[in-house]
Amino acid sequence: MSIAFIVIVVLILLVLVVMYNGLVGKKNQVENAFAGMDTMLKKRYDLIPNLVATVKQYASHEEGTLTKVTELRAKAIGGGLSADERIDLDNQISKAMGGIMVAVENYPELKANENFLQLQRSLNEVEEQISASRRAYNASVTSYNNAIEMFPSNMMANAMNYKRKAVFEIPEVERANVDVGKLFGS
Amino acid sequence: MSYADTKESFEAQIQPVLERFEERRRQVLKKAAIGAGAVVGIAALAAVMLAANGQGDALAFVAIAGVVIAGIVFASITGPFKRAFKQEVVGAVVSAYDDSFVYGAGSGVRKSTFKASELFQKGIDRYRVEDHVRGKLDKTEFEFSELHAEYKTTSGSGKNRKTSWHTIFKGVFFVADFNKDFSSRTIVLPDTAEKMFGFLGRKLQDWNFARPDVIRLEDPVFEREFCVYGDDQVEARYILSPALMERIVRLKRKFGDQIYISFLYSKIYIAISSTKNRFEPKMFGPVDMALVREFKEDLDLVLGVIEDLNLNNRVWTKE
Repeated sequence: MSIAFIVIVVLILLVLVVMYNGLVGKKNQVENAFAGMDTMLKKRYDLIPNLVATVKQYASHEEGTLTKVTELRAKAIGGGLSADERIDLDNQISKAMGGIMVAVENYPELKANENFLQLQRSLNEVEEQISASRRAYNASVTSYNNAIEMFPSNMMANAMNYKRKAVFEIPEVERANVDVGKLFGS
Repeated sequence: MSYADTKESFEAQIQPVLERFEERRRQVLKKAAIGAGAVVGIAALAAVMLAANGQGDALAFVAIAGVVIAGIVFASITGPFKRAFKQEVVGAVVSAYDDSFVYGAGSGVRKSTFKASELFQKGIDRYRVEDHVRGKLDKTEFEFSELHAEYKTTSGSGKNRKTSWHTIFKGVFFVADFNKDFSSRTIVLPDTAEKMFGFLGRKLQDWNFARPDVIRLEDPVFEREFCVYGDDQVEARYILSPALMERIVRLKRKFGDQIYISFLYSKIYIAISSTKNRFEPKMFGPVDMALVREFKEDLDLVLGVIEDLNLNNRVWTKE
C-alpha cells in the first residue's frame, strides 16, 4: 500500500518536472530564435554603407532615399530601443531598401556594375535569411503558445506566470500591393 | 545545342543506327530463341525418360531447372545486344540533349553517394545501378541513375536456410548542386507516421532519435505530405522557402510516387521511387523512333526536376 503510494507520488513529481523543464525550454527557444533574427538583421546593417556608397556614385538623384536609409541604420545600431521599436524600425529599413532597388532600375550603368551586382546578391541572401529566421521565430512562438494553452501544461504555465507571446507579423506596408506609380513618384 | 533545335537532324542521324540495331535484334532474338528452345527440348526429353522410369519426384525438378536454365541462356544471349544498344542509342539521345552530358549504361550513382544522402539508414547488401547521366544544365551540375538497393534476411538453418531480399529503394536517384550555400543537414521524408496516426504520429516523429530534430513548417499541404528533420531550424527554413515547399509538393504530384529529399552541404539529393525500368530496349518489339522518343520523354521528366525546383535561379551569393 505504502509502496504504491510512493510510486504514484514519484510519478507525479516526474511528470511535473518534465512539464516544467519543457516550458522553460520552450521559452528559451523563443529567446534564442529572437537572437537569431537579430544576427541576420545586423548582417543587413553591415551591408547598408556599402550599398549607399555604390549607389551614390551613379544615382545622385536618389540622395533623399539614401540619406534616409543611412539615418535609419544609425538609429537601429544606436541601441536603446524596445523590441517593438526595433521591429518597426526594421520594417522601415526594408521598405526604404525596396525603394532603392526599384529606383536602381533607372540607372543601367549602376545595374551593370560588378560591385553592385555582388551587393545585390548579398542583399538577396540576407533578406532570404531574415525571412527564414522570422519563420523560425514564429514556429518557436507557436510551439510555446501551444504549450501554455494546452491541457495539462497550461496549469503549470499559469503557476509560472507565463504569458502568450505574439508571432511576428508581416507589416501592412509589405502585405499591401506595391503601387508602382507612387514608387516612381509620379 | 539542344534537342529541340535539331530534332529533325537528330532523328535523321539516329534512323540508320536504329535500322542496324533492329536487324541485329531480330538475329539475336532468333539465336536466343534457338538456345532457350534447345534447353527446353533437352529438359523435356529428360522428363520423358524419367517418367518412363517411374521417377516422378525428379520430374518437377527437371521441369523447373529447364525453365530456369532456358531463362539464363536467353538473357546471356540478349544481354550484350541490350548493352550495346543502350550505350549507343540512349547515349546519343543524352548527348543530343546537351553536349556536356555523359551517359553510362552500366554505371550509376556511387554507393558512397547514396549512403551520404542519409535518406535510407538500412544497411545495404546488394546495390545495383544502371543508366547513369551526368552533366551541367545551365548553371546546375547534376547526376542521376537508376538504382536498386536491397538488404537480405535469412531464416532457418542448415537445409531449410532461406535467404530473401527486400528492397530499400528502387527508382531514380538524382543528385545536384543546390542554388544556396548551407552547412547543415535537412532531410525531407514522406510523412507516413502522421498520416496513419495523426497527432500521435507527430509525437512519434519527435522521438525519432535516429534523425536530427523535427522542423515544423508552416505550409499545411507540405506538412501533410512530408516530415522534415534538420540540424538547424533557421537554415532549414532558409533552404525550404515557401516557394520551394510548393514546388516540392508539385513535384511529388507529378511523379505520383514517394519522393525523398535531402539537403546536405550545399547539395540536393532526390530519390524518386519507381517500379518502371527506364531506358530499356524491348526484345519482343521493334526498336524504332517511338522508343527513342520514349527515352527522350523519360529524360525530360527527370531533368525537369532542375526546372521544377528552380535550381538554376542563382540570385543569392552562390554562383
